[in-house]
Amino acid sequence: MIIRILGNGCSKCKTLEQRLVALKQMHGLSFELQMVTDLDEILKYGVMMTPGLVLDGTLRSVGTVPRESQLLTWLKETSV
Amino acid sequence: MKEWIKFSFLAVVFLLFYFAPVSGPAVVGSLAAGLALLQEYARLHVLTCLVPAFFIAGSIAVYIKKDAVLKLLGPAAKKIIAYPVATVSGGILAVCSCTILPLFTGIYKRGAGIGPAAAFLFTGPAINVTAILLTGSVLGWDFAVGRLVAAMVISIVAGLFLAFVFREHDQKNSSADFAAGMESDIPYSNAAISLFLILQLGILVVFGLGIDSTIKATLIITMVAAVLAIAVFKFRKEHTLEWIRETWDLTKKILPYLFVGVFIAGAIEVVVPQEFITRLVGENTLLSNAVASTFGAFMYFATLTEVPIIQKLMALGMGRGPALTLFLTGNALSLPSMIVLFRVMGKKQAAAYILTIIVLSAFAGMLFGELL
Repeated sequence: MIIRILGNGCSKCKTLEQRLVALKQMHGLSFELQMVTDLDEILKYGVMMTPGLVLDGTLRSVGTVPRESQLLTWLKETSV
Repeated sequence: MKEWIKFSFLAVVFLLFYFAPVSGPAVVGSLAAGLALLQEYARLHVLTCLVPAFFIAGSIAVYIKKDAVLKLLGPAAKKIIAYPVATVSGGILAVCSCTILPLFTGIYKRGAGIGPAAAFLFTGPAINVTAILLTGSVLGWDFAVGRLVAAMVISIVAGLFLAFVFREHDQKNSSADFAAGMESDIPYSNAAISLFLILQLGILVVFGLGIDSTIKATLIITMVAAVLAIAVFKFRKEHTLEWIRETWDLTKKILPYLFVGVFIAGAIEVVVPQEFITRLVGENTLLSNAVASTFGAFMYFATLTEVPIIQKLMALGMGRGPALTLFLTGNALSLPSMIVLFRVMGKKQAAAYILTIIVLSAFAGMLFGELL
Protein backbone atom coordinates (compact mmCIF):
# COMPACT_ATOMS: atom_id res chain seq x y z
CA MET A 1 0.00 0.00 0.00
CA ILE A 2 1.17 3.52 -0.76
CA ILE A 3 0.20 6.33 1.59
CA ARG A 4 0.72 9.90 0.46
CA ILE A 5 0.57 12.86 2.80
CA LEU A 6 -0.14 16.07 0.90
CA GLY A 7 1.24 19.12 2.64
CA ASN A 8 3.80 21.86 2.37
CA GLY A 9 5.43 21.27 5.72
CA CYS A 10 2.72 22.52 8.07
CA SER A 11 2.82 21.34 11.67
CA LYS A 12 -0.27 19.17 11.22
CA CYS A 13 1.37 17.40 8.30
CA LYS A 14 4.22 16.39 10.58
CA THR A 15 1.80 15.26 13.29
CA LEU A 16 0.01 13.07 10.75
CA GLU A 17 3.30 11.59 9.57
CA GLN A 18 4.37 10.79 13.13
CA ARG A 19 1.01 9.26 13.92
CA LEU A 20 1.18 6.98 10.89
CA VAL A 21 4.73 5.92 11.65
CA ALA A 22 3.74 5.13 15.23
CA LEU A 23 0.74 3.07 14.06
CA LYS A 24 2.96 1.21 11.63
CA GLN A 25 5.31 0.15 14.40
CA MET A 26 2.60 -0.61 16.93
CA HIS A 27 0.50 -2.81 14.66
CA GLY A 28 3.23 -4.18 12.42
CA LEU A 29 1.67 -2.70 9.28
CA SER A 30 3.42 -2.50 5.94
CA PHE A 31 3.05 0.53 3.73
CA GLU A 32 5.18 3.05 1.91
CA LEU A 33 4.85 6.63 3.15
CA GLN A 34 5.35 9.44 0.63
CA MET A 35 5.39 13.13 1.52
CA VAL A 36 4.04 15.28 -1.32
CA THR A 37 5.18 18.87 -0.90
CA ASP A 38 4.77 20.22 -4.44
CA LEU A 39 1.74 22.55 -4.55
CA ASP A 40 0.72 21.65 -8.10
CA GLU A 41 0.86 17.98 -7.23
CA ILE A 42 -1.26 18.61 -4.12
CA LEU A 43 -3.79 20.57 -6.14
CA LYS A 44 -4.18 17.68 -8.59
CA TYR A 45 -6.09 15.94 -5.83
CA GLY A 46 -8.28 19.02 -5.40
CA VAL A 47 -6.84 19.50 -1.93
CA MET A 48 -6.55 23.07 -0.68
CA MET A 49 -6.24 22.62 3.04
CA THR A 50 -3.31 20.59 4.23
CA PRO A 51 -2.63 17.90 5.24
CA GLY A 52 -4.41 15.69 2.73
CA LEU A 53 -4.25 11.94 3.22
CA VAL A 54 -4.30 9.63 0.19
CA LEU A 55 -4.43 5.85 0.59
CA ASP A 56 -3.68 3.98 -2.65
CA GLY A 57 -5.03 6.82 -4.76
CA THR A 58 -8.14 7.48 -2.65
CA LEU A 59 -8.40 10.81 -0.85
CA ARG A 60 -9.45 10.09 2.72
CA SER A 61 -9.14 13.31 4.69
CA VAL A 62 -8.36 16.98 4.20
CA GLY A 63 -7.23 19.68 6.59
CA THR A 64 -7.20 17.58 9.75
CA VAL A 65 -5.20 14.91 11.49
CA PRO A 66 -7.60 11.96 11.72
CA ARG A 67 -7.92 10.02 14.99
CA GLU A 68 -5.90 6.84 15.34
CA SER A 69 -8.97 4.59 15.34
CA GLN A 70 -10.17 6.25 12.15
CA LEU A 71 -6.75 5.81 10.52
CA LEU A 72 -6.70 2.12 11.48
CA THR A 73 -10.14 1.54 9.93
CA TRP A 74 -9.03 3.14 6.67
CA LEU A 75 -5.77 1.22 6.66
CA LYS A 76 -7.64 -2.06 7.08
CA GLU A 77 -10.19 -1.19 4.40
CA THR A 78 -7.46 -0.34 1.93
CA SER A 79 -5.15 -3.28 2.58
CA VAL A 80 -7.91 -5.89 2.00
CA MET B 1 26.41 25.08 7.73
CA LYS B 2 30.14 25.19 7.05
CA GLU B 3 32.40 25.12 10.08
CA TRP B 4 34.04 28.47 9.36
CA ILE B 5 30.63 30.16 9.19
CA LYS B 6 29.81 28.80 12.63
CA PHE B 7 33.16 30.05 13.86
CA SER B 8 32.75 33.58 12.47
CA PHE B 9 29.22 33.72 13.90
CA LEU B 10 30.55 32.82 17.36
CA ALA B 11 33.40 35.31 16.95
CA VAL B 12 30.98 38.13 16.10
CA VAL B 13 28.81 37.33 19.12
CA PHE B 14 31.90 37.21 21.32
CA LEU B 15 33.21 40.56 20.06
CA LEU B 16 29.78 42.09 20.43
CA PHE B 17 29.61 41.18 24.10
CA TYR B 18 33.27 42.03 24.65
CA PHE B 19 32.90 45.62 23.52
CA ALA B 20 29.19 46.32 24.04
CA PRO B 21 28.44 49.14 26.47
CA VAL B 22 26.11 46.89 28.47
CA SER B 23 25.74 49.28 31.35
CA GLY B 24 25.27 52.27 29.05
CA PRO B 25 21.92 54.07 29.17
CA ALA B 26 20.81 52.95 25.68
CA VAL B 27 21.20 49.24 26.44
CA VAL B 28 19.80 49.39 29.97
CA GLY B 29 16.97 51.68 28.88
CA SER B 30 15.87 49.54 25.94
CA LEU B 31 16.02 46.32 27.97
CA ALA B 32 13.90 47.91 30.68
CA ALA B 33 11.41 49.27 28.13
CA GLY B 34 11.14 45.87 26.45
CA LEU B 35 10.43 44.20 29.79
CA ALA B 36 7.92 46.89 30.72
CA LEU B 37 5.96 46.37 27.54
CA LEU B 38 6.03 42.60 28.09
CA GLN B 39 4.54 43.15 31.51
CA GLU B 40 1.87 45.44 30.09
CA TYR B 41 0.85 42.76 27.57
CA ALA B 42 0.96 40.00 30.17
CA ARG B 43 -1.28 41.98 32.53
CA LEU B 44 -3.67 43.65 30.11
CA HIS B 45 -3.98 41.55 27.00
CA VAL B 46 -3.06 37.91 27.47
CA LEU B 47 -5.88 36.62 29.69
CA THR B 48 -8.56 39.07 28.67
CA CYS B 49 -7.98 39.15 24.93
CA LEU B 50 -5.53 36.61 23.55
CA VAL B 51 -6.73 33.51 25.40
CA PRO B 52 -10.40 33.97 24.38
CA ALA B 53 -9.27 34.93 20.87
CA PHE B 54 -7.27 31.73 20.48
CA PHE B 55 -10.26 29.68 21.63
CA ILE B 56 -12.46 31.48 19.11
CA ALA B 57 -9.96 30.83 16.32
CA GLY B 58 -9.80 27.19 17.41
CA SER B 59 -13.59 26.87 17.25
CA ILE B 60 -13.65 28.41 13.79
CA ALA B 61 -11.07 25.89 12.62
CA VAL B 62 -13.04 22.93 13.96
CA TYR B 63 -16.75 23.74 13.84
CA ILE B 64 -17.27 25.97 10.80
CA LYS B 65 -18.24 24.04 7.69
CA LYS B 66 -15.57 25.11 5.26
CA ASP B 67 -16.69 23.16 2.21
CA ALA B 68 -19.76 25.37 1.82
CA VAL B 69 -17.61 28.51 1.78
CA LEU B 70 -15.04 27.05 -0.59
CA LYS B 71 -17.67 25.87 -3.06
CA LEU B 72 -18.58 29.55 -3.57
CA LEU B 73 -15.03 30.15 -4.81
CA GLY B 74 -15.05 27.27 -7.28
CA PRO B 75 -14.75 27.44 -11.07
CA ALA B 76 -18.50 27.78 -11.60
CA ALA B 77 -18.90 30.60 -9.07
CA LYS B 78 -20.54 33.84 -10.19
CA LYS B 79 -18.14 36.80 -9.95
CA ILE B 80 -20.57 38.89 -7.96
CA ILE B 81 -20.62 36.23 -5.26
CA ALA B 82 -16.99 35.13 -5.53
CA TYR B 83 -15.47 38.53 -4.72
CA PRO B 84 -17.30 39.32 -1.47
CA VAL B 85 -16.95 35.71 -0.33
CA ALA B 86 -13.22 35.79 -1.09
CA THR B 87 -12.69 38.87 1.04
CA VAL B 88 -14.41 37.56 4.14
CA SER B 89 -13.45 33.91 3.80
CA GLY B 90 -9.90 34.66 4.93
CA GLY B 91 -11.24 34.98 8.46
CA ILE B 92 -12.92 31.59 8.28
CA LEU B 93 -10.62 29.46 6.14
CA ALA B 94 -7.18 30.70 7.03
CA VAL B 95 -6.71 30.78 10.74
CA CYS B 96 -2.96 30.57 10.25
CA SER B 97 -0.91 32.18 7.52
CA CYS B 98 0.66 28.86 6.50
CA THR B 99 -2.68 27.68 5.10
CA ILE B 100 -3.10 30.69 2.84
CA LEU B 101 -0.83 29.66 0.00
CA PRO B 102 -2.47 26.32 -0.92
CA LEU B 103 -5.89 27.96 -0.76
CA PHE B 104 -4.75 30.88 -2.89
CA THR B 105 -3.14 28.64 -5.50
CA GLY B 106 -6.23 26.46 -5.56
CA ILE B 107 -8.61 29.38 -6.12
CA TYR B 108 -6.30 30.91 -8.72
CA LYS B 109 -5.47 27.85 -10.76
CA ARG B 110 -8.52 25.66 -10.31
CA GLY B 111 -11.27 27.87 -9.01
CA ALA B 112 -12.74 31.33 -9.52
CA GLY B 113 -9.57 32.80 -11.07
CA ILE B 114 -7.00 35.48 -10.37
CA GLY B 115 -9.36 38.23 -9.14
CA PRO B 116 -11.04 36.42 -6.23
CA ALA B 117 -7.75 34.63 -5.49
CA ALA B 118 -5.91 37.94 -5.13
CA ALA B 119 -8.72 39.30 -2.95
CA PHE B 120 -8.45 36.26 -0.71
CA LEU B 121 -4.65 36.47 -0.60
CA PHE B 122 -4.79 40.03 0.65
CA THR B 123 -7.47 39.73 3.31
CA GLY B 124 -6.50 36.23 4.41
CA PRO B 125 -3.83 37.36 6.88
CA ALA B 126 -5.28 40.81 7.56
CA ILE B 127 -8.76 39.75 8.53
CA ASN B 128 -7.75 36.98 10.92
CA VAL B 129 -9.84 36.98 14.09
CA THR B 130 -7.05 37.07 16.65
CA ALA B 131 -5.32 39.96 14.86
CA ILE B 132 -8.48 42.08 14.72
CA LEU B 133 -9.33 41.38 18.37
CA LEU B 134 -5.82 42.19 19.61
CA THR B 135 -5.76 45.38 17.53
CA GLY B 136 -9.01 46.45 19.14
CA SER B 137 -7.82 45.59 22.61
CA VAL B 138 -4.50 47.44 22.28
CA LEU B 139 -5.16 50.35 19.91
CA GLY B 140 -8.90 50.85 20.13
CA TRP B 141 -11.87 49.56 18.18
CA ASP B 142 -11.83 52.35 15.57
CA PHE B 143 -8.47 50.99 14.47
CA ALA B 144 -9.70 47.40 14.42
CA VAL B 145 -12.75 48.30 12.33
CA GLY B 146 -10.71 50.59 10.08
CA ARG B 147 -8.26 47.81 9.47
CA LEU B 148 -11.04 45.36 8.67
CA VAL B 149 -13.01 47.61 6.34
CA ALA B 150 -9.98 48.99 4.52
CA ALA B 151 -8.63 45.48 3.93
CA MET B 152 -11.95 44.32 2.51
CA VAL B 153 -12.37 47.30 0.17
CA ILE B 154 -8.77 47.18 -1.06
CA SER B 155 -8.92 43.47 -1.70
CA ILE B 156 -12.01 43.79 -3.92
CA VAL B 157 -10.57 46.75 -5.85
CA ALA B 158 -7.20 45.03 -6.29
CA GLY B 159 -8.87 41.77 -7.33
CA LEU B 160 -11.10 43.45 -9.92
CA PHE B 161 -8.15 45.42 -11.26
CA LEU B 162 -5.98 42.32 -11.66
CA ALA B 163 -8.81 40.33 -13.21
CA PHE B 164 -9.25 43.14 -15.75
CA VAL B 165 -5.56 43.56 -16.58
CA PHE B 166 -4.95 39.85 -16.95
CA ARG B 167 -8.31 38.87 -18.42
CA GLU B 168 -6.61 37.08 -21.31
CA HIS B 169 -4.27 35.09 -19.09
CA ASP B 170 -7.03 33.90 -16.83
CA GLN B 171 -7.76 30.45 -18.16
CA LYS B 172 -11.22 29.01 -17.85
CA ASN B 173 -11.16 26.53 -15.03
CA SER B 174 -13.43 23.56 -15.11
CA SER B 175 -12.14 21.29 -12.47
CA ALA B 176 -14.74 18.98 -11.05
CA ASP B 177 -12.78 18.02 -7.96
CA PHE B 178 -12.34 21.57 -6.67
CA ALA B 179 -12.02 21.48 -2.89
CA ALA B 180 -12.31 17.72 -2.82
CA GLY B 181 -12.68 15.86 0.44
CA MET B 182 -13.94 18.88 2.32
CA GLU B 183 -17.31 17.45 3.27
CA SER B 184 -17.16 17.89 7.00
CA ASP B 185 -18.51 15.48 9.57
CA ILE B 186 -19.76 18.23 11.87
CA PRO B 187 -23.33 17.19 12.74
CA TYR B 188 -24.40 20.21 14.77
CA SER B 189 -26.96 22.84 13.84
CA ASN B 190 -25.83 26.28 12.73
CA ALA B 191 -27.64 27.73 15.75
CA ALA B 192 -25.58 25.66 18.20
CA ILE B 193 -22.32 26.59 16.52
CA SER B 194 -23.24 30.28 16.35
CA LEU B 195 -24.21 30.31 20.02
CA PHE B 196 -20.91 28.66 20.90
CA LEU B 197 -18.97 31.32 18.98
CA ILE B 198 -21.03 34.27 20.22
CA LEU B 199 -20.64 33.20 23.86
CA GLN B 200 -16.87 33.11 23.47
CA LEU B 201 -16.85 36.47 21.77
CA GLY B 202 -19.07 37.72 24.60
CA ILE B 203 -16.46 36.71 27.18
CA LEU B 204 -13.85 38.78 25.37
CA VAL B 205 -16.16 41.78 25.02
CA VAL B 206 -17.26 41.74 28.67
CA PHE B 207 -13.61 41.63 29.78
CA GLY B 208 -13.13 44.95 27.99
CA LEU B 209 -16.20 46.67 29.45
CA GLY B 210 -15.80 49.20 32.23
CA ILE B 211 -18.59 47.91 34.44
CA ASP B 212 -18.95 46.98 38.09
CA SER B 213 -16.54 44.15 38.84
CA THR B 214 -19.11 41.89 40.55
CA ILE B 215 -21.45 42.07 37.57
CA LYS B 216 -18.49 41.53 35.27
CA ALA B 217 -17.30 38.45 37.16
CA THR B 218 -20.83 37.00 37.26
CA LEU B 219 -21.31 37.53 33.54
CA ILE B 220 -17.96 36.00 32.65
CA ILE B 221 -18.41 32.97 34.90
CA THR B 222 -21.88 32.36 33.44
CA MET B 223 -20.61 32.55 29.90
CA VAL B 224 -17.58 30.36 30.55
CA ALA B 225 -19.89 27.80 32.17
CA ALA B 226 -22.21 27.94 29.15
CA VAL B 227 -19.34 27.46 26.71
CA LEU B 228 -18.05 24.50 28.71
CA ALA B 229 -21.56 23.02 28.94
CA ILE B 230 -21.96 23.17 25.15
CA ALA B 231 -18.50 21.72 24.60
CA VAL B 232 -19.07 18.85 27.05
CA PHE B 233 -22.76 17.97 26.75
CA LYS B 234 -23.78 19.09 23.29
CA PHE B 235 -20.69 18.47 21.15
CA ARG B 236 -19.07 15.08 20.72
CA LYS B 237 -15.96 14.35 22.71
CA GLU B 238 -13.72 13.96 19.67
CA HIS B 239 -14.69 17.40 18.36
CA THR B 240 -14.18 19.03 21.73
CA LEU B 241 -10.74 17.47 22.00
CA GLU B 242 -10.01 18.65 18.45
CA TRP B 243 -11.09 22.17 19.49
CA ILE B 244 -8.69 22.18 22.42
CA ARG B 245 -5.88 20.76 20.32
CA GLU B 246 -6.45 23.34 17.58
CA THR B 247 -6.42 26.16 20.14
CA TRP B 248 -3.25 24.87 21.72
CA ASP B 249 -1.64 24.48 18.30
CA LEU B 250 -2.33 28.13 17.47
CA THR B 251 -1.11 29.31 20.85
CA LYS B 252 2.15 27.41 20.43
CA LYS B 253 2.61 28.78 16.95
CA ILE B 254 1.87 32.43 17.69
CA LEU B 255 2.55 33.31 21.32
CA PRO B 256 6.36 32.82 21.48
CA TYR B 257 6.85 35.07 18.44
CA LEU B 258 4.44 37.60 19.85
CA PHE B 259 6.41 37.86 23.09
CA VAL B 260 9.64 38.38 21.16
CA GLY B 261 7.87 41.00 19.03
CA VAL B 262 6.51 42.78 22.11
CA PHE B 263 9.97 42.92 23.67
CA ILE B 264 11.53 44.28 20.47
CA ALA B 265 8.73 46.84 20.13
CA GLY B 266 9.39 48.05 23.67
CA ALA B 267 13.11 48.31 23.02
CA ILE B 268 12.56 50.21 19.75
CA GLU B 269 10.87 53.02 21.62
CA VAL B 270 14.14 53.82 23.41
CA VAL B 271 16.59 53.17 20.58
CA VAL B 272 14.86 54.89 17.66
CA PRO B 273 15.03 58.68 17.88
CA GLN B 274 11.61 60.27 18.08
CA GLU B 275 12.32 63.04 15.58
CA PHE B 276 13.29 60.45 12.97
CA ILE B 277 9.83 58.84 13.14
CA THR B 278 8.01 62.17 13.39
CA ARG B 279 9.80 63.54 10.35
CA LEU B 280 9.34 60.38 8.28
CA VAL B 281 5.78 59.30 9.08
CA GLY B 282 4.50 61.83 11.59
CA GLU B 283 2.09 63.66 9.34
CA ASN B 284 -0.66 62.26 7.22
CA THR B 285 0.86 63.17 3.86
CA LEU B 286 1.05 61.16 0.68
CA LEU B 287 4.79 60.74 1.14
CA SER B 288 4.61 59.43 4.70
CA ASN B 289 1.85 56.99 3.76
CA ALA B 290 3.91 55.82 0.81
CA VAL B 291 6.90 55.30 3.11
CA ALA B 292 4.78 53.30 5.57
CA SER B 293 3.24 51.30 2.75
CA THR B 294 6.57 50.35 1.15
CA PHE B 295 8.21 49.59 4.49
CA GLY B 296 5.31 47.33 5.44
CA ALA B 297 5.44 45.57 2.10
CA PHE B 298 9.03 44.44 2.54
CA MET B 299 9.10 43.97 6.31
CA TYR B 300 8.05 40.62 7.68
CA PHE B 301 5.80 40.65 10.75
CA ALA B 302 5.07 37.34 12.41
CA THR B 303 1.34 36.94 13.12
CA LEU B 304 0.17 39.55 15.67
CA THR B 305 3.60 41.17 16.19
CA GLU B 306 2.53 44.07 14.00
CA VAL B 307 0.28 45.21 16.86
CA PRO B 308 2.95 46.02 19.51
CA ILE B 309 5.35 47.38 16.87
CA ILE B 310 2.78 49.80 15.47
CA GLN B 311 1.64 50.68 18.99
CA LYS B 312 5.17 51.79 19.86
CA LEU B 313 5.78 53.52 16.52
CA MET B 314 2.67 55.56 17.26
CA ALA B 315 4.00 56.36 20.71
CA LEU B 316 7.07 57.71 18.91
CA GLY B 317 4.89 60.00 16.84
CA MET B 318 3.71 57.97 13.85
CA GLY B 319 0.48 59.42 12.48
CA ARG B 320 -2.78 57.47 12.47
CA GLY B 321 -2.90 57.37 8.67
CA PRO B 322 0.54 55.86 8.13
CA ALA B 323 -0.13 53.48 11.06
CA LEU B 324 -3.19 52.04 9.31
CA THR B 325 -1.23 51.84 6.06
CA LEU B 326 1.45 49.85 7.85
CA PHE B 327 -1.21 47.49 9.21
CA LEU B 328 -2.50 46.89 5.68
CA THR B 329 0.75 46.08 3.89
CA GLY B 330 2.60 44.76 6.94
CA ASN B 331 0.51 41.61 7.12
CA ALA B 332 -0.35 41.10 3.49
CA LEU B 333 3.15 41.37 2.02
CA SER B 334 6.70 40.62 3.03
CA LEU B 335 9.91 39.91 1.17
CA PRO B 336 9.57 36.12 1.57
CA SER B 337 5.92 36.17 0.47
CA MET B 338 6.82 38.28 -2.59
CA ILE B 339 9.33 35.67 -3.71
CA VAL B 340 6.69 32.97 -3.44
CA LEU B 341 4.18 35.16 -5.32
CA PHE B 342 6.58 35.60 -8.22
CA ARG B 343 6.89 31.84 -8.46
CA VAL B 344 3.19 31.03 -8.23
CA MET B 345 1.62 33.93 -10.17
CA GLY B 346 4.30 34.69 -12.74
CA LYS B 347 6.42 37.84 -12.89
CA LYS B 348 3.97 40.30 -14.44
CA GLN B 349 0.97 39.32 -12.34
CA ALA B 350 2.98 39.34 -9.12
CA ALA B 351 4.54 42.75 -9.81
CA ALA B 352 1.12 44.20 -10.67
CA TYR B 353 -0.40 42.71 -7.51
CA ILE B 354 2.34 44.04 -5.24
CA LEU B 355 2.27 47.54 -6.74
CA THR B 356 -1.53 47.72 -6.60
CA ILE B 357 -1.52 46.74 -2.94
CA ILE B 358 1.20 49.26 -2.03
CA VAL B 359 -0.59 52.13 -3.79
CA LEU B 360 -4.09 51.30 -2.56
CA SER B 361 -2.92 50.81 1.03
CA ALA B 362 -1.20 54.19 1.07
CA PHE B 363 -4.40 55.88 -0.11
CA ALA B 364 -6.58 53.96 2.33
CA GLY B 365 -4.33 54.95 5.24
CA MET B 366 -4.37 58.58 4.16
CA LEU B 367 -8.16 58.57 3.96
CA PHE B 368 -8.38 56.99 7.44
CA GLY B 369 -5.99 59.60 8.82
CA GLU B 370 -8.07 62.40 7.29
CA LEU B 371 -11.47 61.16 8.39
CA LEU B 372 -10.93 59.67 11.84
